[in-house]
This record gives sequence, C-alpha cells and structure tokens, in this order.
Amino acid sequence: MEQTVFLKLRHRIQVYPNATVFIRDIAQMVTVDDALMCRLKDIPLYTVQKRDRNIVIIDVMHVMKAIVRHFPNVDVQTVGPSQTIVEVVYEKKRLSFLYFALVWLLLFVGSALAVMNFHEDVSMQQVQQRLYRIITGEKEAKPLWFQIPYSLGLGIGMILFFNHFFRKRINEEPSPLEVEMFQYQQSLDQYVIMHENKEAMRRIEDD
Amino acid sequence: MISHFLTIFVGFSGGLAVGAGFVAFLTVLGVIPRITQLTKTMKLIAAYEWGVILGAICGGWVSLRDPLLFLTPYVLIPLGLFSGVFVGMLAAALTEVLNVFPILAKRMGVSDQIVVLLMAVVFGKVVGSLFHWLYFVDH
Repeated sequence: MEQTVFLKLRHRIQVYPNATVFIRDIAQMVTVDDALMCRLKDIPLYTVQKRDRNIVIIDVMHVMKAIVRHFPNVDVQTVGPSQTIVEVVYEKKRLSFLYFALVWLLLFVGSALAVMNFHEDVSMQQVQQRLYRIITGEKEAKPLWFQIPYSLGLGIGMILFFNHFFRKRINEEPSPLEVEMFQYQQSLDQYVIMHENKEAMRRIEDD
Repeated sequence: MISHFLTIFVGFSGGLAVGAGFVAFLTVLGVIPRITQLTKTMKLIAAYEWGVILGAICGGWVSLRDPLLFLTPYVLIPLGLFSGVFVGMLAAALTEVLNVFPILAKRMGVSDQIVVLLMAVVFGKVVGSLFHWLYFVDH
C-alpha cells in the first residue's frame, strides 16, 4: 500500500566539517507509520567534503531521489522551501580584542570627522549665529546654547532611529538595523541558492 | 511688468522644486514612518506632514526676512536639541540606506557586537560635533 509522507525542508542548517547529513537533519516529516518514519529519517543524503567549503545546497529533488531509491512506493508530498542551505561551521576564529578596538576607533574617528565636515559644508555655524540673532536680538560668535544641545541630540536621534538604548530596547519591534541585517542575509541566501545549487541553472555548454 | 511676472514664475518654480526635493529626501530616508512606528501614532501621520510643511515654511520665512524676536537665549536649548535629534535621525537613516552595518558586521564576523559598532558611530558624532563647536571653530 502506498503511504503518504509530508516533508518540509528546513531553510538553513549548520553542520560540522566532514559530517554526514541525514534526512532528519534537514527536514521535518509527518506520516502515519512511525516505523517508516524512523527508517526514512536515517537515510543519508550527503557527506560534507573539503572542497564544499562553507555552503552546500541540498535540493528537494535530491531528497526525493534518496527516498524513492530506498522506498519506491512511498508518496512524498513536499511543503515549503525547495532547498536547504547547509552551512559548514569550521572552528571559529576568535576575533582579537585589538582588531575589534581598531575597527571601533576607525568608526569613531571617521564619524567624528564626517560630522565636522558636514557642519562646515552646510555652513552650520553661520546659520546658528543668525538664528541666535533672530531669537535674542544680539550677536554671538559661538551660540553654545544651541550647539551643545544640538550635539547631544545628534546622538539621541541616531539611537532613537535604531531603537537601542545601548542594550536596552525601547519597544518590541525589530529595529531598522535588524530588519536590514535580516534582508541582507536573505539576499545572500537567495544568491547561494541560485549559484551553489547545480540544479538551479543550466547553461548551454554543460550538457 | 513682464519681468515681475517672470520673477514670480522663476521664484515659484524654484520653490516647488526645492520643496518637492525636500519631501522626496525625507520619504526616501523614511524618518517620519520610523517616528510614527516608535511612538505608535500612525493615525497622526497627516499631522506630522503638516508639521514638516509648516516647519519648512517658517524656516524659509525666517531665513529670508530676518526678523528679530528678542527672546531669552534659553529658547535655543530645545531648538538645538530638536534639530540635533532630527539631524541624528537623518544620519542614522542614511547609514541604514547605505547598508553599512550589516556588511561590516558580516565581514568582520561580529554580528552579535553590532550594537557596540553602532555606539562607535553615535559617540563619534557627538564627540566630533562638540569638538567642532567648542574648539575647532576658534582655530
């Protein structure tokens, strides 16, 4: 009798180098027969090799092929994404504190200089002097009553925009930065799905 | 007479272009949607639009007419703070559009430390600005 198995691939999994990927690693399955399910789960799909480097794409057709080979009369219904991104996690290099501090300083000094150049570029000093004169009626070369709150506001505005008060968040919603990170990751995933998957594209020369 | 009409026409079209450009700039950076999202006041977005428009008109009027108001200088404190927050949000929105942080954090492998990197930029802006006004302008 033919049995129906519902199969949904995970979007992204992480494995160690030289690991063998089994169906249980990359897919969720639903079927009535528990014994069959256990045997299905232990079907090996792929062994990670050195030349794969960081990313391997396992296509749903590859999973189907493996299932059909072992269990010819199982009816597989797939749901969800049609490939899984397998990320090979090598020993993580600890980022040295010095390196991080250097990048931090780079950003710090860079943005300080950028904001100074911006002020000069838009002649902000002159605008502030005029504003001071308009409001108080007096001349003032350094309108610090305006400039110091302005400088602090600059930082507050950036933090507000990114919704972070250091570690504490102002509300539950993801900040634009987190959304941006997510979208960037999605674009990268989309790219590797197309480019690392041999089944995704077919050119004229390779037949 | 003709030259008057011509001046009016040129002035009006120039204002139209600058106003449209200003609104387009704000829209691209998405600062106002961000504020409504933070304060949960999406319904009031029309009022915020009017705030921007009236602000631009007042700014234009004041900078062209040079009135003198004879108020205390303490009025400048909230004005300075507000304009600082506004410029800060613009700057933050600009770095976000340019995708600086995601790429940097990804390349360096410090996705969990991204807030610390962000703080580098925030402190850099505040310190740079204070340095500029307190020291740099005198030299």
